[in-house]
Amino acid sequence: MSRRVTLNLGFQGNTRDVTVVIPDDEPTPWQWGERLSVVGKPTPRVDGPLKATGAAHYTYDIELPGMLYGAILRSPRPHARIRNIDLSAAEHLDGVRAVLALEDREIRFAGQEVAAVAAISSDLAADALKLIKVDYEKMPFVVDMDRAMADFAPRVFGSGSNVGRTSTSSVGNVARGLEVAANTIEAAYTTAVQTHVCLETHGAVASFNAARDQLTVWCSTQGVFSVRDDLAVYFSLPPDNVRVVCEFLGGGFGSKFGATPEMIVAARLAGATGVPVKVMLPRGDEHRSTGNRPNSEQKVKLGVDRDGKLTAIDLVQRGSGGIGGGAGSAGPFKSIYRCANIRTEERNIYTNAGPASPMRAPGWPQGCFALELAMDEMARKAGIDRLEFRRRNSDNPVRAAEYEIGARAFGWAEKNSSPKSSGAFKRGVGVASAEWHAVGVPGPEAQVIAHRDGAVEVRVGTQDIGTGTRTILAIVAAEELGLPVDRVKSEIGDTRFLFSVPSGGSLSAPSNTPAVRQAAAHLKDKLFRIAAPILGAEPDDLEASDGFIRVRTNPSRSLAFADVCKRIPGDSISAQGERVANYEGFRTDQAGCQFAEVEVDTETGIVRVTHVVAVHDAGRIIDPLMARSQVNGGILMGIGFALFENRRMDPMLGIMVNPTMDDYKLLGSLDVPRIDVTFFEVANGITNTGVMGLGEVAHVASAAAVACAVYDAIGVPVRSLPITPDRVLAALGRA
Amino acid sequence: MSKKTLVEATINGETVEFLCEPRQSLLETLRDVLELTGSKEGCLTGDCGACTVLVDGRPVCSCLMLGVEAQGKNIVTVEGLAINGVLHVLQNKFLEHAALQCGICTPGFLISAKSLLDRNPKPTEHEVRYALAGNLCRCTGYDKIVKAVLDAAADIRSQGEGKAAAR
Amino acid sequence: MNRFEVITPADLASASRLLAQDGHVAFAGGVDVLDLSKQNVESPTALVNLKGLKELGGIEVRPSGELRLGAMAKLSEVAEHPAIRARFTAIAEAAGEVATPQIRNLGTVGGNILQRPRCWYFRNPDVNCLKKGGDTCYAISGLNRYHAILGGGPAFIVHPSNLAPALIAMRASATIVGPAGERTVELEKFFTLPTVDPKRENSLKSGEIVTEVIVPASPSSVRSHYLEAREKQSFDWPLVSVAIALDRAPGANTVRDARVVMGAVAPVPWRSPEAEAALKGGPLDESRARAAAEAALKDARPMSDNAYKVVIAKVIVRRAIMSVAGLEAA
Repeated sequence: MSRRVTLNLGFQGNTRDVTVVIPDDEPTPWQWGERLSVVGKPTPRVDGPLKATGAAHYTYDIELPGMLYGAILRSPRPHARIRNIDLSAAEHLDGVRAVLALEDREIRFAGQEVAAVAAISSDLAADALKLIKVDYEKMPFVVDMDRAMADFAPRVFGSGSNVGRTSTSSVGNVARGLEVAANTIEAAYTTAVQTHVCLETHGAVASFNAARDQLTVWCSTQGVFSVRDDLAVYFSLPPDNVRVVCEFLGGGFGSKFGATPEMIVAARLAGATGVPVKVMLPRGDEHRSTGNRPNSEQKVKLGVDRDGKLTAIDLVQRGSGGIGGGAGSAGPFKSIYRCANIRTEERNIYTNAGPASPMRAPGWPQGCFALELAMDEMARKAGIDRLEFRRRNSDNPVRAAEYEIGARAFGWAEKNSSPKSSGAFKRGVGVASAEWHAVGVPGPEAQVIAHRDGAVEVRVGTQDIGTGTRTILAIVAAEELGLPVDRVKSEIGDTRFLFSVPSGGSLSAPSNTPAVRQAAAHLKDKLFRIAAPILGAEPDDLEASDGFIRVRTNPSRSLAFADVCKRIPGDSISAQGERVANYEGFRTDQAGCQFAEVEVDTETGIVRVTHVVAVHDAGRIIDPLMARSQVNGGILMGIGFALFENRRMDPMLGIMVNPTMDDYKLLGSLDVPRIDVTFFEVANGITNTGVMGLGEVAHVASAAAVACAVYDAIGVPVRSLPITPDRVLAALGRA
Repeated sequence: MSKKTLVEATINGETVEFLCEPRQSLLETLRDVLELTGSKEGCLTGDCGACTVLVDGRPVCSCLMLGVEAQGKNIVTVEGLAINGVLHVLQNKFLEHAALQCGICTPGFLISAKSLLDRNPKPTEHEVRYALAGNLCRCTGYDKIVKAVLDAAADIRSQGEGKAAAR
Repeated sequence: MNRFEVITPADLASASRLLAQDGHVAFAGGVDVLDLSKQNVESPTALVNLKGLKELGGIEVRPSGELRLGAMAKLSEVAEHPAIRARFTAIAEAAGEVATPQIRNLGTVGGNILQRPRCWYFRNPDVNCLKKGGDTCYAISGLNRYHAILGGGPAFIVHPSNLAPALIAMRASATIVGPAGERTVELEKFFTLPTVDPKRENSLKSGEIVTEVIVPASPSSVRSHYLEAREKQSFDWPLVSVAIALDRAPGANTVRDARVVMGAVAPVPWRSPEAEAALKGGPLDESRARAAAEAALKDARPMSDNAYKVVIAKVIVRRAIMSVAGLEAA
């Protein structure tokens, strides 16, 4: 049933043999130095032409016969009780087909859903919203984290406190570590609320059958199966009666898991009207209501000994995800650097603001910023080079190698020692370390089908958040079957396919590719059984490569893959594969580091990022083209977090004042520097593909590196993100 | 329902007639009336550029124009870039450089870039960035997009030189 | 966006008559009108489409050297116009810094100077602020990092036009046609403080249309420059902008005449006679530029969150002067 194999794993100059037990029907994991034909080669996105010609259909582009347009009324008040809702005027508007009041009678943030309508056009639906009269009983509110912690602060949740349970972790003895330290620093760091700003807002098209027992939902989601399960529960339907489709998805970044309110609204309106209903959120609603990265205040203490080794790391943190939780940021403190004494304390503070949702490495960019800027402050105090300080406190050989690659590519030695210029414009450089653990999870199953015309199809119930899932699945199947990638088509984004996990937390690539490889291997076995008698060999003696199936010991005896397919007795032949549990492998963490260079106008406080170098490991890189795009995107979002993005809440009105794409500042083409990405290949053997995800790790260190570079440029740390001109000038004592 | 207006315009090289309400934006008209859904809605307020189309050769936000204003205009959308299924060099370069991920911003970037290269076949990197400053991307970052546009410009120039040499 | 009709008048007189009616608004480039309508800040019942009116179009440098900008001239045309770039540099530069390429291709000269403020309270349909007939300017006790540091009160918006400071620095005037006929007003006097009427930013009356902006001939001894500071380099509103026009005798380094007009600092484009006076009366060097910048902000009254704008404004004014004077920073 299973076999024991010894794998040579690791990276250049550092490999070792690891023995693992794998199921019999599972392909042997790719090892260090494995020669692969299409994996690892730059392959343009297989669905690229559809996206570049406008032919790709996103949720927003779905049009069904008789479809209505839904819209959602949201509370303008941050905290209120709904005394009464009068829907009659809206109901009587010509073209309106359904109006419904949502059940929740207590409003806890400005932007919470109150009512919904369906009408024959989106303009009419918006008109109808204006006719709904809501009688709100105002309640006291608090949107500011500090005020929410005060004794007599208005309560966000009835009688419960605004201060959540304290979550602590402790290793060693931090007090002792600080006591023995030759140098200590102590400082407080803050970060602002960042919103996801998916270019495609949240939305869904929902359709019930006539009997109202079959629901189909096309939606912008990171998890078709999680949406299916949520909707099945909500509408008391068997999961099989709910079909969720997401062919193309315009970004998610963690905000599009599960059945979000607009999906339920669309389905309820479809149920009420008997025709399909589309609900797409306006941009303002997207900012206010669909999730965000919580803010943070992080009080950090570090201690180092005479050798520059950390003796203590202490974090006391709080953050507010509005009415949601998940504001912790201790992750990086606990694991990036080695230290015998680490203590962390995290608390969620509740405020009358939109709920947080997971956002790209939840908690880590905030934590990494505070930790890394504190590391730089310590390095300066202790008189150690910042990169050397990091080397001394990291015991990860992958990271050590990456520091050297990055430092060379960036020109660290030269840039770090060169003068900051004498004029108003000062240059500075920074380095920060990343970490994530994108090994993926078991669960997904894949189907690979060979058709009689020689075409191959991969089907998995995953979805492409934009990272190129179709492409990498096709590459993996093509590799296993010895085919060029263009012979394989990937079909995803539908709960009619086999189960897969949500695309988030860097799960997609490491969770789905092993299932596809296994399925392709199973399909290959079936094709070998067809080819073997023709080739006069045993199936076990065959191999597939370069579009041929051939006898391993006598490659001239071969059949074209397509010719083998012609012998398929029916229309097609298919095989399934499953994602088995992770093997022990080489290591389960990912290191990574990023270097940033900035130019600070010290007279105006305006910061520009001028260059970023990123070095990342993600196990085996399937497609360096797609992978690089993902790293670029992580950096982009990190620079925004570092310099611009800030959900601003008016404390007196309790509303977000900047729910647009200009007042909420998103960096553009003139704000993004040259970005150089290097991948550090590690054969990790954790799965049969050894692939790890990149979405999170590429984003963890970006803001930190920028903040460290600003500190280097101006000689004083700006301990609050975003690093806006007022803060730079204040740090310089100029405003 | 409001009274609808009959509008005649040239869209992607074809003369089309359509009916639209006064308050329907050009973007809505393109998407909902003419079923050209390649132009995307990201904000409706002119901030993101996902709805960018060429009107008489100039890139504009179609969300900030009314459908009725299309009367007599020559409009090019992303659907008009490829000719007979042959991708425009910009489209090819975007794919080659992997200058897109989720793809919502891509049609707008392509149109802005086309407009630039139509007028300035030899842009500097800064000129490319300036021309793309009205398009927001949240996934891939601009570095690859800028490289793709510069590469496309170089390609167009070398094709032009090739043609000139052949003459 | 509420339901409206689009009316295309045959001539200027009928446009004027239409615009005198309640709920009718001028539809030029459409950028701000549609933005405000979509955000439910304004709910026009009819858009009076000015696009067909040929009197409003065109850019022309007349034989006298005078520049005529039709109110419907596109910002991109102004930014790219070779003669404007050469002789009315600040105006071309200001137009080129407006928003984005797409918006510059839609936005017009008239629309840019008549656009409504960007204040995030004013733009929020759920906030009934002083500018919308309410009784409170929420910026006073609220979030005011982008608000006025000069001339504020009772409303503390900043005027959003990039173009207006440049036009005022170049002594432009607007031609306005309305029910009472045609009038010409110096652009500097066209904009009005909230003390006059907190709901308005200018003196345009009901039924009036700005038809053109006339910039007098600029002697070859005049150099002008527009400079702004903003957080983002792609599409952002200026924290501070300034337009400078300097007239120096050929070969001399003494300023005969100067105009210094700041944007994004006050509810109107803010001309600084103090800075202009400081520039005159001696050789132009860095210390004089610095003194002029100090003078320009002498009366600044920052709010709780925007003292940094005063610092930036001084820097931007000084740098703009240095640049237009061809001086290098020490």
